[in-house]
Amino acid sequence: MTTFIFRNQTVEPFFGDEGVTYSGYGDISLVPSDVDRYIWFYQVPVNANAVQLAQEILSYQDKLDLVLKSVDPHKPFIIFSLVNLFPLRLTGDAVTVDHAVMAFNRYVTERVVGATHVKWVDFGDFTSRYSDVNLVNWKFYLMSQTLLNPKLAHDFKSWWSGVERGLALQRKKCLVLDLDNTLWGGVLGEDGVDGIKLGGDYPGKAFSYWQQALLQLANNGVILTVCSKNNEADVQEAWDNNPFMVLKREHFSATRINWQDKVSNIRDMADELNIGLDSMVFIDDNPAERELVKQMLPQVEVPDFPDKPHQLMPFFKGLVERYFRIYAVTDEDRLKTQQYRANAMRRSQQARFADLDSYLESLSMQLDIIPADEHNLPRIAQMTQKTNQFNLTTRRYSEADVQQRIDEGWRIYCMSVKDRFGDNGITGTVFLEPLDWDKMGIDSLLLSCRVLGKGLEDAFIASIFNQLRLEGVRRIVADYLPTAKNGQTANFYDRLGMNCVSVDDDGAKHYEMDLDHAIEIKNYYNINIL
Amino acid sequence: MNLNDKVLAIMREVFGIEEISTDVSQKNCERWDSLRHLTLASELEDAFDIELEPEEIAEMTDFSRVVEKLNEKLS
Repeated sequence: MTTFIFRNQTVEPFFGDEGVTYSGYGDISLVPSDVDRYIWFYQVPVNANAVQLAQEILSYQDKLDLVLKSVDPHKPFIIFSLVNLFPLRLTGDAVTVDHAVMAFNRYVTERVVGATHVKWVDFGDFTSRYSDVNLVNWKFYLMSQTLLNPKLAHDFKSWWSGVERGLALQRKKCLVLDLDNTLWGGVLGEDGVDGIKLGGDYPGKAFSYWQQALLQLANNGVILTVCSKNNEADVQEAWDNNPFMVLKREHFSATRINWQDKVSNIRDMADELNIGLDSMVFIDDNPAERELVKQMLPQVEVPDFPDKPHQLMPFFKGLVERYFRIYAVTDEDRLKTQQYRANAMRRSQQARFADLDSYLESLSMQLDIIPADEHNLPRIAQMTQKTNQFNLTTRRYSEADVQQRIDEGWRIYCMSVKDRFGDNGITGTVFLEPLDWDKMGIDSLLLSCRVLGKGLEDAFIASIFNQLRLEGVRRIVADYLPTAKNGQTANFYDRLGMNCVSVDDDGAKHYEMDLDHAIEIKNYYNINIL
Repeated sequence: MNLNDKVLAIMREVFGIEEISTDVSQKNCERWDSLRHLTLASELEDAFDIELEPEEIAEMTDFSRVVEKLNEKLS
């Protein structure tokens, strides 16, 4: 992959020269087209004249705007946020510099991000680890115009590779957690339910913070699992009876608490959850266990575990940065707060109607069915990564995977839903694989949980079937693949009138259907196939 | 590892080349450009726990001058 970097300082020590070329300092006149992606990495220059400096910073917006207009919109464009590496707060007007920096960053987040291929990187996330003194090395700056201290190049490269991993949306899905000396201090079998270190003073407090942080990660869609050599009954007792326990059985999607080797346990859980080993991160305080997993399951990420409980929170931060962060803030994410509010209003309305149908009718629901395109592709990939409950097969795809399937002739649609309370945006998708001239298979079908309960899943798939029928498709095949979370979809295809032709030992169900007549859809959905 | 070997190892890393000998200089090595020169200086500072002044960095234009400067700093 080749990269072109727009910059106003020397940044070669941080990006090297393998496949990387650079603009002149502050130069936007040349925008090469023979590269695979672009990076915009401007830094706040050094200028003691705050007013002049602020003006220069404001001009970066216009420059960036011009560049974005002239680059190929299909190529990734990564923008670093601006950070004032050497703030000179001598006088009151220094605040104008801060404002200019904030204005640039706001401009990027609010206006630029949302464009499909433009992504935003919080450079402050890197610089906040260092003091002003360490961020700028004046000797090197004056010799080479390298404002960011070249001595941070090694740290920068490892941070940047984590960011790039996130940018590729290859984020991990699942944490496999040990228990003793990992989720709490001490050994449950020896110290007892009340003897383990959790809550209260240090070190118990450190483990409480760590568990709370992990709970937040779970609330954000990361799957937590347990793999521990312990007696299951002891652990259940600790979950039930230790008052400081934050993470309990209900927070774990799978558990293996036994005396088997961890390698087979982890393999087992990957199967149970229907996720790849390469989407798992194994956390264990025991170096021997870590080494075994590293050797036997090289696809699983195995970070070192901190020696001291007070290092757990920095360790947690590192985990999030390396494995669990998403870098493209989609429009959907920004809309969420509003949608939650609208959902609350909807719930209060629900009580006033005699039956669900009359309530649903009152919603004036509009369902737009949109073929996948460059605008909705990131959202479609994101949904396959995040959706667990209403997800018939739980197959995870990156943006590149989705694009590849489109190129192979698959039909991929998403649905966008709005009603009189607000716009829920893109909240469902279906992947159809052509199997024969008149036959298609449903590879994936999922709906975000925030639009469930309104029959939209039926309306969505029925509309798709009716449309395919008009196009000459006569046969549909589909699967239900059970996971820990998608039980509510187990009978979805039966309800739709499909024939279940076989059931595997693991509960997977296989369906067929002849599209010999149009499926009736409730008339209160206003459906638009684009 | 003696000083010569240590410096050669750092140069290999910084310049990104395998074949390097004690007669390497800015003149005969294309990859020893001005930017890598500064990276080299930075790496030498860290490896030997010394501070090099800009004037000194500018003088270190070939292998023997680098070693000479390091010996002076380390003594």
